[in-house]
Amino acid sequence: MGEQGVSNLERRYRALLKVLPRWYREDREEEMVGIFLADRTDELDLEHSWPGWGETAAVLGLAARTHLAAGAALATVPAKVVWRGEVVRAMGLFGLLLSVYFAGMFITSMAYAHRHPEIVGGLTWTRVFDVLPIAAFIALLAGKRTPAKVMAALAVLPGLVALVDPIRMGVWALYQLPALVTFACLCLGFHREAPTPDARRFGWWGGGALVLGLFTGFASGLGLVVVVLTVVIVRVVAFVRRDFVLGRALSLLAVLEVGPIAFPLLGGETWGIALGLLVLVVICALAPVRKPRVA
Amino acid sequence: MSEQTFLVLTALAEEPLHGYAIVQAVEQLSEGRMVLRVGTLYGVLDRLVADGFAERDREEVHQGRLRRYYKLTDSGVRALQAEVARLSANVRAASAVLRGRGVQAWANKA
Repeated sequence: MGEQGVSNLERRYRALLKVLPRWYREDREEEMVGIFLADRTDELDLEHSWPGWGETAAVLGLAARTHLAAGAALATVPAKVVWRGEVVRAMGLFGLLLSVYFAGMFITSMAYAHRHPEIVGGLTWTRVFDVLPIAAFIALLAGKRTPAKVMAALAVLPGLVALVDPIRMGVWALYQLPALVTFACLCLGFHREAPTPDARRFGWWGGGALVLGLFTGFASGLGLVVVVLTVVIVRVVAFVRRDFVLGRALSLLAVLEVGPIAFPLLGGETWGIALGLLVLVVICALAPVRKPRVA
Repeated sequence: MSEQTFLVLTALAEEPLHGYAIVQAVEQLSEGRMVLRVGTLYGVLDRLVADGFAERDREEVHQGRLRRYYKLTDSGVRALQAEVARLSANVRAASAVLRGRGVQAWANKA
């Protein structure tokens, strides 16, 4: 036993419970520790054991569901942090919408490549992952979360694999960061208790993103310009409509886009456009978000 | 309703229980198939409380550790009743199909 009769196992379990929100721990920690240690009486076990992988995974799952609460559980969350889960889910959804947009661009560029066989050689089979976000988005709206997350994971996989390459890592990481962060938001935010996004409403958003991508694919270099302009427009709409969740999600999305947009400033030919876009995303990131009026 | 939720509701249907007793009851009800981790148990309990199917009962201190009891609400009893009716209907349908094939519905355990 260590200080004050607290075993190492108890200390380790309490350390694990720190992943839970403070408000949750204050209410539940003693109760949870009591259950965890209820049948652990062996001295050697208490001094040398650690919480197992299964217990760790269960606590991490509980942490995701409490930090990013949804549905009926929102009633138990302190008012000042109640928006967190909603914002993370909005970011996950917008990240997926961006991927749908880029998938549309990819489809157009493939059609173009088909008519110009000389550039087909540059395409690798891994590009097939680029269209998976469309299927992931449809699966999410249909309430099939696990297939949606698996397909979204496959879509970001080539980017993750490329991070291992030390030569490309720096710049590549900059461009992959928005996709990786929004993928993490999708996985963490859409847990078992999170409601399925309204298929009718977001079906239009998804369709719009795809059509926009298909058209934008005809003009090379327009991709990021359209993304920034769309983020700006939706950010303004969120401000006017006092949509706090949408506004905060767009601000965070704008922060993620700063890196890819700022990179051409280091000497690219398009630094003038990049500077203009950078100013826009910085304004989006820093502009205030308005909370709805309380009736 | 997930099997975990169903078993926790069933455990609480008999009497108010504290967390560790719920874990033991679920293991017993499932004949050892399901051992609830503490993190999982609280996920289920939070959901049941949020849905109004269970509520906090009394608190006790046992060997220096806090024990909080949970009990089923009337709404929880109705939810369990509805789930039992649904599962029973499924069992009856599956049993009828098996009988039609000349197979007994309940296989003997080895």
